[in-house]
Amino acid sequence: MPFSGAIMISDKDNIAVCLEDIEAGADVEVRLGGEVRVVTALEEIPFGFKIALADIAKGDHVLKYGESIGLASSPIKRGDMVHVHNLEGGKGRGDLETGASR
Amino acid sequence: MNFMGYERPDGSIGARNYVLVIPSLLSGLVASKICEFVDGTRTIVIASGNFEGHTNHDRAIADRALIGLGLNPNVASVIVDNEYRSVLPLSEEIAKSGKRVETLDPAKDGGTFGTIEKGVQLAREMVREASQMRRQEFDMGELTLAVKCGGSDATSGIAGNPVVGHVFDRIIDAGGAAIFGENTEIVGAEHVLAKRAVNKEVAQRILKAADDIDAAVKSTGEDLRTINPTEGNKAGGLSTIEEKSLGAIHKSGTKPIEGVLEYGERPPGKGLWWCDNNPGMNIFTGYAASGAQLTIQSTGTTSFPTAYDLLLPSTGVVAPHFYTTANPRTVALAPTSIDFYSGGVLEGTDTIESAGEKLLEMVLDVVSGTMTKVETIKHQNPTSFYLRDPVF
Repeated sequence: MPFSGAIMISDKDNIAVCLEDIEAGADVEVRLGGEVRVVTALEEIPFGFKIALADIAKGDHVLKYGESIGLASSPIKRGDMVHVHNLEGGKGRGDLETGASR
Repeated sequence: MNFMGYERPDGSIGARNYVLVIPSLLSGLVASKICEFVDGTRTIVIASGNFEGHTNHDRAIADRALIGLGLNPNVASVIVDNEYRSVLPLSEEIAKSGKRVETLDPAKDGGTFGTIEKGVQLAREMVREASQMRRQEFDMGELTLAVKCGGSDATSGIAGNPVVGHVFDRIIDAGGAAIFGENTEIVGAEHVLAKRAVNKEVAQRILKAADDIDAAVKSTGEDLRTINPTEGNKAGGLSTIEEKSLGAIHKSGTKPIEGVLEYGERPPGKGLWWCDNNPGMNIFTGYAASGAQLTIQSTGTTSFPTAYDLLLPSTGVVAPHFYTTANPRTVALAPTSIDFYSGGVLEGTDTIESAGEKLLEMVLDVVSGTMTKVETIKHQNPTSFYLRDPVF
C-alpha cells in the first residue's frame, strides 16, 4: 500500500480515514490539507477504517465531510476505531417502526 | 478541449456509431439473431421483456428508455422489431431526430424467420451506411456524461468520486451536461445536495426523494443498515448510509443541480442533473437512454474476492463503460477492467484537480474512439428498467 497515515476531510470532523493498516499504539499522522496532527491508535485499525480524533460521548454525532454520519452507540475514545460496532446510522430504520406492513 | 465524434441529424455528437436493433417486447430473439449476424450492431437484452401488467406510467418509462436509446448520439440508425406492445410510438419518436429508422413486423415480414432474414439484410445495409460517416472535431461541451459509484469503499468518497466530479465540472463549464443519481445513496446527504439546487422546487424534489426512500424502507419493517451500506461497503470501511451517501455525492462535482430526471429521461438542458434512479446496474441503461455518450463507474471494491478480475461489462447498451478507482488493490485485482487510477490523490502525488485533468484527457480519448477495457467484451448482461409501481 503506497498510502500512509490518515486523512481528515473537514476541520469539523472528529474522525479520520486510515490510509494504511495501523497497529495498536502507533502514532498516526493525520493530514488535513497541509496540516498534520498526530493521534495515538488505541487498537489495530485496518486500511480504510476510521480513527477517532477526539473522545465522542454516546449519542453524539460522528462527523466526516463536516457532516453527521450517525451517532456514537457507545462512548468512543480518541484513538479508537470507529465503525458499525460503535457508530449507528439513523436512516431507514424499519426495525424501529411499529406497524410496518410485514 | 475537443474530441472526435459523429455528427447526427439532430445536432448531437456520437462517440460511437452503432446500428441499434430494438427488440420486440414479446421476445428479443429476432433482435439478438440480427446482432449475432451483423457487426456494428447493438441490442438491449431485457431481463423481463414483457411489460404486460405494469402500470401505464411504468410502461411509458420502459418505452421512453427504448426511445432514448434510439436517440442516443452513439446510434447512427435504428431497427425496431414489432412494436405493437409499446404504449408510445417508438419508431415515430426516434425518427423525429432525423435518423434512419426501419421497422420489422413478423405479421408482414414472413413470421420469425422471415423477419430475421429481412432484419439481417437491413442491418448489413445500415452498418455499411453508418461506416461511411467520418469523425469530426467537436468541443467537449457536446458531451453528456453519467456516473454511478459501485462497490464503494473508504477511497471512493475522498478520492475516486471527487476526481470524477472534477471532470463533471469541466464538461459543464464547457456547456455540456452531466447526470448522477441513486436515490438510496443520497439518504443522509440530501440536505447537502438540496443546497446546490438551482431553485426551491428542485431542492424539494431532492429532499422528497430521500424521504420517500427512508419511508419505503420503514414500511417494510427492515433495517436499512442490513441492506445499504452493503456488506462489501462495510468491509471497505463505510459504516452507515449517511457516510456512504456523503461520499457518493462527490461524484457529481460542485455545480448547481438544474433539475431532477426520472429514469431514462433526457435532460431538458445543459448542466448537472440528478436522476431519481436506484443503485442497480440497470442505471447505465437509463443513463444511455438519457443521452449519455459515456458512462463512468467510480468503484472502490476493497471487498471484492481475489478471483474477480473482470468487472461487469456495461448495461449501457450503446454507451461505452469506463471504470475508475482510487484503490490500488482493485487495480491489481482487475487490471484488465480498470481504465483509470485516481489513488495518486491519496498517495500525495496528485491533487483532485490534477488527477481530474488526467481523467478528462482519457475520457476525451475514449469518446473519440479508443475502447474502454470492458468495452472489448462482447457479453451483454441482461438489463431491466427502474419501474417502481406494483404489477397487476
